[in-house]
Amino acid sequence: MPTKLINPMNETPVRVSAPPARLRSLQGKTVGLLDISKTGGNLFLDRLEHLLRERHHVSNVVRTMKPTFAKPAPTAIIEQLRSLDAVVEALAD
Amino acid sequence: MLLVFFETDCPTCRLAVPYLNKLARGARVIGISQDDDAATKQFTEQLATAFPVQRDPGLALSRRFDLKFVPSLFLLDHDGRVLLSNFGFDKSVLNQIADQLRCAPVADEFDGAPQSKPGCMSRHLEPKADGEFGPALGIGSTRGLLASVVEVSDGEDAFEYCFRAFGDALPVIPPTPERVARMLGGAAVDRTEVIARVPPCYGEATIEKIAANAVMAGCVPEMMRVLLPLVRAVCDERLNIHGVQATTHFAAPLVIINGPIRKELGFACRQNVFSNVARANSTLGRALQLILLNIGGARPEGIDMSTLGNPGKFSYCIAENEEANPWEPFHVERGFPAEQSTMTLFAAEAPHGVSEHTARTPKQVLQSISYALATVWTYRACLGSEAVVVLSPEHARTIHRAGWSKRQALEFLFENTGVPVRAYEDAPDAEGSQLVSKYKEILIRGERCYQKFRAPESIRILVAGGTAGKFSAVIGSWAAGPRGSEMVTYPI
Repeated sequence: MPTKLINPMNETPVRVSAPPARLRSLQGKTVGLLDISKTGGNLFLDRLEHLLRERHHVSNVVRTMKPTFAKPAPTAIIEQLRSLDAVVEALAD
Repeated sequence: MLLVFFETDCPTCRLAVPYLNKLARGARVIGISQDDDAATKQFTEQLATAFPVQRDPGLALSRRFDLKFVPSLFLLDHDGRVLLSNFGFDKSVLNQIADQLRCAPVADEFDGAPQSKPGCMSRHLEPKADGEFGPALGIGSTRGLLASVVEVSDGEDAFEYCFRAFGDALPVIPPTPERVARMLGGAAVDRTEVIARVPPCYGEATIEKIAANAVMAGCVPEMMRVLLPLVRAVCDERLNIHGVQATTHFAAPLVIINGPIRKELGFACRQNVFSNVARANSTLGRALQLILLNIGGARPEGIDMSTLGNPGKFSYCIAENEEANPWEPFHVERGFPAEQSTMTLFAAEAPHGVSEHTARTPKQVLQSISYALATVWTYRACLGSEAVVVLSPEHARTIHRAGWSKRQALEFLFENTGVPVRAYEDAPDAEGSQLVSKYKEILIRGERCYQKFRAPESIRILVAGGTAGKFSAVIGSWAAGPRGSEMVTYPI
């Protein structure tokens, strides 16, 4: 007879949402740059902003920062980024 | 009368419902949903709202009350005048409203929910985007699903199956329905009750799932009375287990047990307190880790990206040796009566041993410990971390015998733990060096130093271990404070 076990793993239903369509070009788009507030993140994002503006001709770059890298981004920051065409997150030190 | 505006997918609104249900037992509460019929119906069913809920078509009422966020609470008098209003979730405000409505307090400090939590923007102020709001998740529902039943085929060894599918890289006891039922102890509990949602994947820790993991860890059924509040405590937002589980740092939650429960369930607090000495310590710590792993989803091969890890991720649970502690026990210092059992959680590195067998005065013993304290996080980084000092009974006795209080010992450690200014001179790029402008310069035995810790309270002293051996331990924290992890103590 097979042994029955109570499943101890996470079985919480998850809502899956489809990712938005990939951008064909960055030209004229608004791009968000999220600094998670780790040391050196600004160096990376400064350079990226420069490249986005000079090479890819984005119309605008929105810079924002998490108050601490140790916690998920507050809702206000996610809401700020929600309407943009693309977002880049600087994750590491 | 209390008017409550909410959105069905706002986690803070969902958090507030059980408290509003309690208020509704003694007073008139009316819920106003900003969402459509289907979402509202699902919300009221999932959360078992005990008060009438109406919709706000066109959000006209929301505009009239001019709310900015949900949940928004308006306490009205008989003429409809607003006596009190509040946005978001706040336990003290809920208790204040209960008081005004002549109800008993509804929000307990230690029920696992935060003291306060900001809400979401009111629907009528949200930017419109077609199809942006999908159906609400069950976040905040107090009931989860029954666990599924897994069948292990005849030819397969159940222990081998569990080892592969559910384990912490060590064998576990298969959680058969009979064993899980024994763990639940025949108590009249609803096994689908959600005790907490465990980060980082926010899996629903139902009583049944907690019991199944407790079986696997080898707990005795009596341990459930510790494990259920422990799951609530570990998910307390102040501890920030989300960050602890996802960081590349060494941190793992250390469980510290105090009070009579130590004897009732056999928690060891003497020799080998950090190791393999007692079933209670080992299995409680392991059950917690299995829950974080299996329900929270912080798998070491994926989501948990700790660079080097921590042996405490198998099990990390100690009890204080209150009998050998010449001062008040740790939980009394944390504000609990001595006869109240408690658990304290700390995002901890592994213990760092300090040997001091020859010093005979409190100052010399504590100086030796302060050198280890100065290395917490990394030598040159000050102010960002905290530490627990586990004094061995012999060291505690040396300090106490000279007439020192625990507070004096703490203040001595605070005033005498620092990093010499000269340590920064040749290392401008080193971790901690960039922040020296924020550090406080002090003199330690004539040498200019930066003070290591922010306040005496950044260091905690407890007494544990065997009565022979002048070894104490320093345990460093993860990123400390409201921007990282804060120590939490819960009653058992």
